[in-house]
Amino acid sequence: MTELRDHLMALADKAVAAGEGPRQAAPHPVNDVMISHWTEAMGDRNPVYAGPDAVAPPVMIQVWSMEGLSRDPAREFRRPMDDVFDALDEAGYKGVVATNCEHTYHRYLSTGEELTSSTRMVDMVGPKRTALGEGYFVTWNVTWFSGDEPVAEMMFRLLKFQPVVPAEKAKREPYPLRPAVNDDTRFFWDGVQAGELRIQRCGGCGELRHPPGPVCPSCRSAERTHIVASGAGTVYSYVVHHHPPVPGQEPPFVVAVVELPEGVRMVGNIVQCPIEEVYVGMPVRVTYQEMDDELTLPMWAPIPEEA
Amino acid sequence: MSSLSGRTAVAGIGATEFSKESGRSELHLAAEAVFAALDDAGLSPSDVDGMVTYTQDANDEIAVAREVGIGDLSFFSRVHYGGGAACGTVLHAAMAVATGVAEVVVCYRAFNERSGRRFGQPNTRLGGEPSSQGLEMSWHVPYGLITPAAWVAMFARRYMHQYGVTSEDFGRVAVAMRRHASTNPAAWFHGRPITLADHQASKWIVDPLHLLDCCQESDGAVALVVTTEERARDLRRSPAVITAAAQGSGTGQMMMTSYYRDDMTGLPEMGVVGRKLWKESGLSPSEIQTAIIYDHFTPFVLTQLEELGFCERGEAKDFIRNGGIEIDGHLPVNPHGGQLGEAYIHGMNGIAEAVRQIRGTAVNQVAGVQNVLVTAGTGVPTSGLILSQG
Amino acid sequence: MRVVAGSVLPPLTIELTPTVVISTALATRDFTPVHHDPAIAKAQGSKDIFLNILTTMGLVERYVSDWAGPDARFRGIKVKLGVPAYAGDTLTFSGTVATVGENEAVVEVTGSVSLGPHVTASAVIMHGFGESPADLPPPRA
Repeated sequence: MTELRDHLMALADKAVAAGEGPRQAAPHPVNDVMISHWTEAMGDRNPVYAGPDAVAPPVMIQVWSMEGLSRDPAREFRRPMDDVFDALDEAGYKGVVATNCEHTYHRYLSTGEELTSSTRMVDMVGPKRTALGEGYFVTWNVTWFSGDEPVAEMMFRLLKFQPVVPAEKAKREPYPLRPAVNDDTRFFWDGVQAGELRIQRCGGCGELRHPPGPVCPSCRSAERTHIVASGAGTVYSYVVHHHPPVPGQEPPFVVAVVELPEGVRMVGNIVQCPIEEVYVGMPVRVTYQEMDDELTLPMWAPIPEEA
Repeated sequence: MSSLSGRTAVAGIGATEFSKESGRSELHLAAEAVFAALDDAGLSPSDVDGMVTYTQDANDEIAVAREVGIGDLSFFSRVHYGGGAACGTVLHAAMAVATGVAEVVVCYRAFNERSGRRFGQPNTRLGGEPSSQGLEMSWHVPYGLITPAAWVAMFARRYMHQYGVTSEDFGRVAVAMRRHASTNPAAWFHGRPITLADHQASKWIVDPLHLLDCCQESDGAVALVVTTEERARDLRRSPAVITAAAQGSGTGQMMMTSYYRDDMTGLPEMGVVGRKLWKESGLSPSEIQTAIIYDHFTPFVLTQLEELGFCERGEAKDFIRNGGIEIDGHLPVNPHGGQLGEAYIHGMNGIAEAVRQIRGTAVNQVAGVQNVLVTAGTGVPTSGLILSQG
Repeated sequence: MRVVAGSVLPPLTIELTPTVVISTALATRDFTPVHHDPAIAKAQGSKDIFLNILTTMGLVERYVSDWAGPDARFRGIKVKLGVPAYAGDTLTFSGTVATVGENEAVVEVTGSVSLGPHVTASAVIMHGFGESPADLPPPRA
């Protein structure tokens, strides 16, 4: 683990030391067609972005450099941090999510301006535990030029993470601890499959109920609906299982009763959290774990610390 | 007083030895225990016309009857929910006897729980069937919450959090039970007491439960003979009169995972049992000289003392710290060593101990016993008894 | 328009229909499948397709610009991303004026969806808000 970290950090240091990468020309000049397409999609009616004296929305700066669908091999180029990204992918940090973006505009751009940009890696921090999985935060800067004049800057940070369940594992064998499902509970498991945490709601009196059942004990209605829970929860109680071995689970593992703000409780594993850091009252958020090709289980992760 | 109180009695008790490997079939164990109980009562198999056991027992009533030579049966019944059935078998027998449905009913429980199917081992099929219980389990089993120790530990954590109870408080229960068992020759842990340090050093099973918070696993069988109080009076042994017997299930009840109701720090189903027992017997906690408190896992011993009114909510820890459950304490609990110390026969061995305490023949006899309260499996729908001097 | 620190921007609610999510992704030339292909998005562990970051940036700009008017000029926008903004959800922006300088103001913006905050942002704008209109640099013709 330390070896891998050292390897990745060395590559990151090298990329940082390499400084500014080559200038890359934007595929299109600043143009009114892309501007109007953009303002229309965004619903931005600012008149300065239209008409003969139109300027480009400054926030479009990154759009001008987007390569688009047809990647011309002749235009392939490598940014300083691409070696780092390749190594992260290879080490299983295949997930990617943007966390921060900061633009600085030196001036507005007019149609017809031809832009170039260059990239400089700033740093890499990690590995950090996050709600998505363990990962590294990679930060870089981009400068855009019109001719030789710098017109805008961007700081961009993303998280490269190891998705919680490696895809290879999910394919291997069926998870042995399967829930029974019938007409009364299918909506819940369908919801999980769709990434929704569903709570049964009585169609008659509106009472929420978990675990669900066929008939409302309050009003006898058999008309059932559901709401989608916010996904927030608080650990109400928990255990750490050590013995005996449980098929499909790697001890020690944590199971908790989670209290939902909607007013029901649910049981699930606490994941992405060192065991000694779990406590009664800990705020958690639902996360979905694919156990095999067919079964997904809702589980609970601590609310992530800010990046 | 209900019409049941005082009308029936336990007239005989019998058991096999308690071991880790009986070396014989469960039916064999059942037959031996039934013979022993009938001999104890001074009755013959042909006197028996009713039988009750647990739904979990693998020996059908008719199979046991065939082995033992019991002839016609006019009553047979089974009680559900694991160890929660223990005192329920006596309730069913007493009801049958009091109403004349049967005259002599044998209750039995026999298993090779250590050398055969071990309840503490994960059964991955628990959540597999879309029966009501399978569906109930399906909210827990997929997360590996699959063993009784884990189900109980979930309650224990919340109870600790709510009332400032510690692992040492649970440990004191284990230490007391092993101390009682150490002077009981029938106990598996005869001569083997433990210290609180031993308890704390024992490995985690499911945190917050250590190994020594969990009762042992045993092979063995116990049988009881229930008949009318009147007839029992004429038999070999002095009767242990059934002053009260009750079953209990609470609102929102589940099979050991009632996590979705109230504050998770009580056992409402045992509250139901307690209220019924006190009402039916007309007794109060101060009139109980010793209690058999179901002890498959230590934390629920504390909860039961509170549910039954032997102490206030959250105060069982103080009751135990002050020696309340010791043989010379305020309420001697499980003088035979309980399931932690004597054997795990699903609560049936505790009822036999209660009968011995009433008779005055127990190895760790409590002085001046008039009434004994007995409880059955906890976390599940359960049952209880008060047995009294005739 | 006269603005003081603490002024509150009117809220803006945007229904994140699949059309919005997809059209904005394409208008920002982001063709990553998780922004337009629900099956792929789900296969990668997401609930549905979701907004891309260039759109989030763009919507922050639009929100501030709707309020500040055509005379305002953006000097910079910073965003920190929170929970994903999935198709089918509703994105609600709120904002306050954090500081007002001689000719610059900082506006702090939060965009929330049902799962929680999707974006927290701040935008620096040059404005003509003061007593005497600031001397805005004209866009280069």
